[in-house]
Amino acid sequence: MFLLPVLLVIVLFIMFPVIGTIFNSFFRMLDTAGSTPQFIGFDNYGKFLFDPQYAPRFWDSVKFTLMFTFTTVIIEAVIGLMFALILNESFKGRGLLRTVILIPWAIPTVVSAVMWKQIYNSSFGFIKWVMVALGSDPSVITLGDFQSAYWALIVAEVWKTTPFVVIILLAGLQAIPQDLYKQAQIDGAKMFRQFMKITLPLIMPVLTIALIFRTIDCVRVFDIIYVLTSGKWGTETLSYLGFINYTVDLGKGSTVSVLTFLISFIITLIYIKFGNFGKTIKS
Amino acid sequence: MREEIIKKILIYAGGLFLFAFAVSPFLWMMVVSLSTSHRFLVDGGFQFTWEHYIGIFTQSQFLSYFVNSLIIAVVVSLVVSIFASFAGYAVSRIRFPGRVAIPLFVLAMSMFPQVSIVGYLADLFGKLNLINTHFALILPYIAWTVPLALWINMSYFTQIPLDLDKAALVDGASRTKTLVRIILPIALPGIFSSFLLVFIACFNEFLFAMMLTSSPDAQTIPVGIASFSGLYGETSWGMVMAASFIASLPLIILTLVFQRYIVQGLAAGSVKG
Repeated sequence: MFLLPVLLVIVLFIMFPVIGTIFNSFFRMLDTAGSTPQFIGFDNYGKFLFDPQYAPRFWDSVKFTLMFTFTTVIIEAVIGLMFALILNESFKGRGLLRTVILIPWAIPTVVSAVMWKQIYNSSFGFIKWVMVALGSDPSVITLGDFQSAYWALIVAEVWKTTPFVVIILLAGLQAIPQDLYKQAQIDGAKMFRQFMKITLPLIMPVLTIALIFRTIDCVRVFDIIYVLTSGKWGTETLSYLGFINYTVDLGKGSTVSVLTFLISFIITLIYIKFGNFGKTIKS
Repeated sequence: MREEIIKKILIYAGGLFLFAFAVSPFLWMMVVSLSTSHRFLVDGGFQFTWEHYIGIFTQSQFLSYFVNSLIIAVVVSLVVSIFASFAGYAVSRIRFPGRVAIPLFVLAMSMFPQVSIVGYLADLFGKLNLINTHFALILPYIAWTVPLALWINMSYFTQIPLDLDKAALVDGASRTKTLVRIILPIALPGIFSSFLLVFIACFNEFLFAMMLTSSPDAQTIPVGIASFSGLYGETSWGMVMAASFIASLPLIILTLVFQRYIVQGLAAGSVKG
């Protein structure tokens, strides 16, 4: 009884649409007046996976999505752990830093993307200005080819979502018993050794969870792609490709969406295996 | 002792980097929003002005985007808090088949990317004439945020001793009465955490909002700000940055004031998940 409302909204607005999307992926449903849905079986899947007209674009977006995800998540793990370690120490100004780290998290993704677009602008942006001031060629592009767009997107994503990783890791660090460190100090273990022998193994399970969340989130990245590059310069992600296809043919968009969630499902499974691996290190 | 000094230096250097990392892009946004020209770096000469802030309220639909976001976020977070409290209570208190399976099912459903839901919803809402209404966003947002709220609430509810409500039930109080009178007041911090996270998620959401609304009557802030750039040909960066600043301000204030609840909610939601 108490569960009914939750189950009802989940079934109506997530489960049915997902099933509907799978169903639609077997149809041609052009977005033009008067056209009726036409059953075409696995045609759409064949197109995106093998047809030379569609497949390269699809596989490019798979490749880009995975590259973007792994680079972002690795950078966030390193910076996030560094920030969490700092915020776990006691020093003057810690309270202020624990507060300001939440600012990027609080800003809506689209707003932060628009902000970065301004900073990256190739004619008047801040980054360009700094690069030229440091002696770089004035014709340098800060957002306008694959290399620049790739790193621009990663920096924007890392800025926005590292705070999430920091919050999770900080909670994990605070749960490590202080006695362990005191004992290690008595034993004469150095700072780096303490980190490798106590902090890292004990934080591993929490870090794995944070990275699973971030990976799942990153594989579906859409907002910053839409605002910063609109998929140009080879930065089309799976969600963006799905969105583009929806505007032409609901069936094709559904196909890309089904493939997107299959890919993110596989990645989640790999991670869960990897997560157990983290737990074995602990014991 | 030498190690202590190195550690101090590392902490302060890292702390300084953290501060610059978190604050500087946001400060830059503020500077551009207060400048007469967004090209002041190349053209030289920063001139202070409020005109962009006046502009977004007089020359754009910013206010209606803001009101739409606010209405949708308030309705969704209230409904989700109520739904998730009842469900969290049932899962943590009442023994019934599916007690473990249902939260896992809810969690699994939240793993689907938005893009795999939105196409079907756009088609369905189109047929139901719901496109471009507040409902078109409220309904999917409830489903999309309820898993997170449920998991956060569950982690709070399970910490409350079972004896408390057993005593009430023995005294003849109904399940609903026990929940409202005894459990809810104790679990309030947890419910408030999930309320805040859902509220912020609604303000943030973009893909649903873009595909299920089509005019400022129902569009939310992210859609409004994303469309600002294309609207006037040459982007009025001062206006865009002013709108971005005003849009972020309430969320930043909310986050900083209720920092404790947000941090606890995020930690509870992911440690459980």
